[in-house]
Amino acid sequence: MGRISRICILGGGTAGWMSAAALSRKFKGLDLEITLVESDQIGTVGVGEATLPHIRLFNQALGIDEQNFMKSTEATFKLGIQFCDWGRLGDHYIHPFGDYGLPLDDLDFHQFWLRSRQGGNKVRLSDYSYPVLAAEKGRFRIPEGDVNTIGSNFGYAYQFDASLYARFLRSYSEENGTRRVEGRVNDVELDGETGAVRSVTLESGAKIEADLFVDCSGFRGLLIEQALETGYEDWSHWLPCNRAIAVPCESRGELLPYTRATARTAGWQWRIPLQHRTGNGHVYWNEFISDDEATSQLMSSLEGPSLADPKQLFFKTGRRKKFWNRNVVSIGLSAGFLEPLESTSIHLIQEGITALVELFPIDAIEAQDIAEYNDRMALNFERVRDFLLLHYVATQRDDSEMWRYFRSMELPDSLQEKISAWTARGYVLKYEFGTFLPPSWVAVMLGQNLVPESHDPRVDRYDMTTMMERLERIRMETAQAVAATPSQAEFLQQYGAASGSRPVLAAGH
Amino acid sequence: MGASTGKPRPIVVSGGGLAGNLAAISLANSLGQGFEIIQIMEPGAPPEDLVYGHAADPEIYNFLRRAGLGEPALILATGTSFSYGTEYRHWPGSGGWMQCHHAPFPTIAGIPLRHHITRAGLALEPFLISAQAARAGRFAHPPSDPDNDLSGAEYGYQFDPAEWTAQLDQLVAGSRVRRITSPIVEVAIEDGLVSAIQLENGQTVTADLFIDANGPSRRIIEAAGGRFRTERTIRAGLSVRETQQPGPPCLTIEADAAGWTSKAHLQTAERMIRVGADDAGAEAPSAVSIALGELSEAWVGNCVAIGHAASVIEPLTPAPMIMLRRDIERLLELVPASAGMTVERREFNRRFLEDVEHIRIFHDALFLSVSAPEEPYWQAAAASTENAKLQRKISQFGNRGILTSYDLEPFNEEDWTIAHMGLGRRPEHYDRQIDGLAAAESDQALARMKQSIRQLVSKMPPHNVYLNRFKQYLRRQNHA
Repeated sequence: MGRISRICILGGGTAGWMSAAALSRKFKGLDLEITLVESDQIGTVGVGEATLPHIRLFNQALGIDEQNFMKSTEATFKLGIQFCDWGRLGDHYIHPFGDYGLPLDDLDFHQFWLRSRQGGNKVRLSDYSYPVLAAEKGRFRIPEGDVNTIGSNFGYAYQFDASLYARFLRSYSEENGTRRVEGRVNDVELDGETGAVRSVTLESGAKIEADLFVDCSGFRGLLIEQALETGYEDWSHWLPCNRAIAVPCESRGELLPYTRATARTAGWQWRIPLQHRTGNGHVYWNEFISDDEATSQLMSSLEGPSLADPKQLFFKTGRRKKFWNRNVVSIGLSAGFLEPLESTSIHLIQEGITALVELFPIDAIEAQDIAEYNDRMALNFERVRDFLLLHYVATQRDDSEMWRYFRSMELPDSLQEKISAWTARGYVLKYEFGTFLPPSWVAVMLGQNLVPESHDPRVDRYDMTTMMERLERIRMETAQAVAATPSQAEFLQQYGAASGSRPVLAAGH
Repeated sequence: MGASTGKPRPIVVSGGGLAGNLAAISLANSLGQGFEIIQIMEPGAPPEDLVYGHAADPEIYNFLRRAGLGEPALILATGTSFSYGTEYRHWPGSGGWMQCHHAPFPTIAGIPLRHHITRAGLALEPFLISAQAARAGRFAHPPSDPDNDLSGAEYGYQFDPAEWTAQLDQLVAGSRVRRITSPIVEVAIEDGLVSAIQLENGQTVTADLFIDANGPSRRIIEAAGGRFRTERTIRAGLSVRETQQPGPPCLTIEADAAGWTSKAHLQTAERMIRVGADDAGAEAPSAVSIALGELSEAWVGNCVAIGHAASVIEPLTPAPMIMLRRDIERLLELVPASAGMTVERREFNRRFLEDVEHIRIFHDALFLSVSAPEEPYWQAAAASTENAKLQRKISQFGNRGILTSYDLEPFNEEDWTIAHMGLGRRPEHYDRQIDGLAAAESDQALARMKQSIRQLVSKMPPHNVYLNRFKQYLRRQNHA
């Protein structure tokens, strides 16, 4: 058998074009033919307009110019996510991309803060975080210099229009030799012997054969599920929200460098500010709220006039039993769905692509590569799932059926153990392979009022007065660094990343 | 909790060897006056504990420094010498290789080094500065400039555990640790917890937390209900030979039909450990039988076992010392914040067992290529249990050079790559990305790298010369 040389990517949404961009770049110059099939008649979901800092590595590896990319996708900078009404109604906190304060003698800063409360310190942990304070004030600049100093020890991501990002990557991929074929798939032909997908036939009658298929067809999983019947691991008993309504609206107010996720009675609502408009959506559990009611809650809370009809989405949280099955690799929503509460949709696409590039088949599709890919992605999905679930269960809310459901839930052991260790002593169970590192866990647990009963006894060896002075110094330096930071709108201009496009206005305005 | 509640909470460390001293000084340094650290020791010098071996990995540097034992003291006051790793000779199934310490390997055109080497059909060693320097018997401290090839040459130490124990003894004696020298008569247990230790001198010592650093006697942890499971037994003996000057900056381990012999090259001595099957008759008169294995839980009730009380690992790599360091780090991170200590115990045991497993699979990997020899030592060693993580590591590397890793492993990706290739595992395929780079281009980059390492090594001083110069420098610093 010859080399694996014909790749067919099915679907041209964010997942499809990100896959095409990476594969066409990484394997440039090889005897590899990449075809992407998409249909203009099938809309893309375009949910997941917010990203994690890892996206920058993806773009850098592709050699993408940051300013050009930001202008093309109406992107804004993102310092974190603001969570409103999660712990209790009226609460809000920001989960920042970056650690709090500065560590001392290898001890985490939050341990010093926990102890300082005994000394009467009333300052929030957030007040020692540059990204939180900058976000709250609507300010942004790129981290510079030593990453271990205040004002530079943070990461950033983007909020962008996912369909514009797909378009941007489309021209990138086509320049790198990806062939785009327009059309809907009518038929899938399986190999009678191996059960692998041999070809897809389009409505036009065109038949596309390939050695490897990347299924980016979205929720329905045209190849991975409809053709190969791979099966789905249902996680809806943990993450029961199963529908969403999405609608863009006119921008109002200052351009904020963060995403907002507001808890609702039967789900939660997102707000994602882009340069030209604001994206909104309501994720909910249809058991406790009707579609009409969910829509009306969303529409009545928009900051500006809506720019389109609300779009309804249906899903079931969970993951494909095998992300890679036979000669089909599912990437994006076909691989699984975890609600976009922590902007992991695009991130999990990126993880899938990274693993596929490293395990890219050579002469044949090998069981070992499939097993490795599936193990890695399963761990990724599972660890993200635990982190998302944390938001629902670290709550004091009991004002609706949904919140009462979560309060009586039996948690996965991995999550239960993490919460126990935190509440006992502010200890965060560490892992090396997973999206969310300890500072993220600290942000959410503390932000949702899980206050540790005690702290790491090692911080008690420091003189209280000296320690309080050090904390105060860090707080002041953080505030000063923020004061010297321009507003996001100013920075976008001076950085050369402003799109210059006019704000989108609703018809009749 | 802690400092605010008035009377200090006592922590008892039982044992006066390397583990006991390191634990006592580390606890005293890490904790404030809210804790009283008491060390209980047997009278006389602690027995020779050869199972620590003579190799320490690079991470020991910071750990000892935090304990108050910096490199200058190690080099000036003990016979400690530098170590780039261990050279395995005549290892069954492979021949031999240099298992050196190394910073993350460089990439060429963004693609990991191992794939270039696989494509070119070359050996890994010529591209490893620490391996080349070790073979040439040369040493120099790595510079901080990451562009300098020498910065990849991470190093650990060749050491005599008794000398380190003695140095730590002085540190503990000068610290706030309260020491009591008297044999233990009885360990009193109440409701599954250690309530007190009765000493021969009539004293009764009580504490919230007891650290068992008594080595294989496991005096306290076994009383508390800890159970040791023996994996296999070996017979090991130590011999020491004085030398005029130190040998190469690496240990050597020479395999033969009946087992293996390690040799460490300290400043003025060679220390050798002979390991064979437990029932292999004539050995050095000092040879002892050693049960390898670990406790099913290292933290039981209010008692935490560390060092050889918790796990006994064959001194075939720096693993015994790595494990002791990790035992103490784990303990420091989890000194109970309250009397309950349930959370601490569970987390300590989870991490302990992960460390045990991850060390075991690295050692097991060294015996996988042993093709069913008849000799009892190799047979016992190769009969290791099947482990899914190890299988995955071996098959993924063998197939296409994929390094499968688990959370926070004691042996890193470089250690594994060197071991795989040293044992003769060649990936069947390499990363396909590399086909986008002309072979000539990658060959040139490899040739440059090799040449630059060769040149660099030729300029490095011999290990003994460097040690002497370094000691002179340190003495001048001390005087100044």
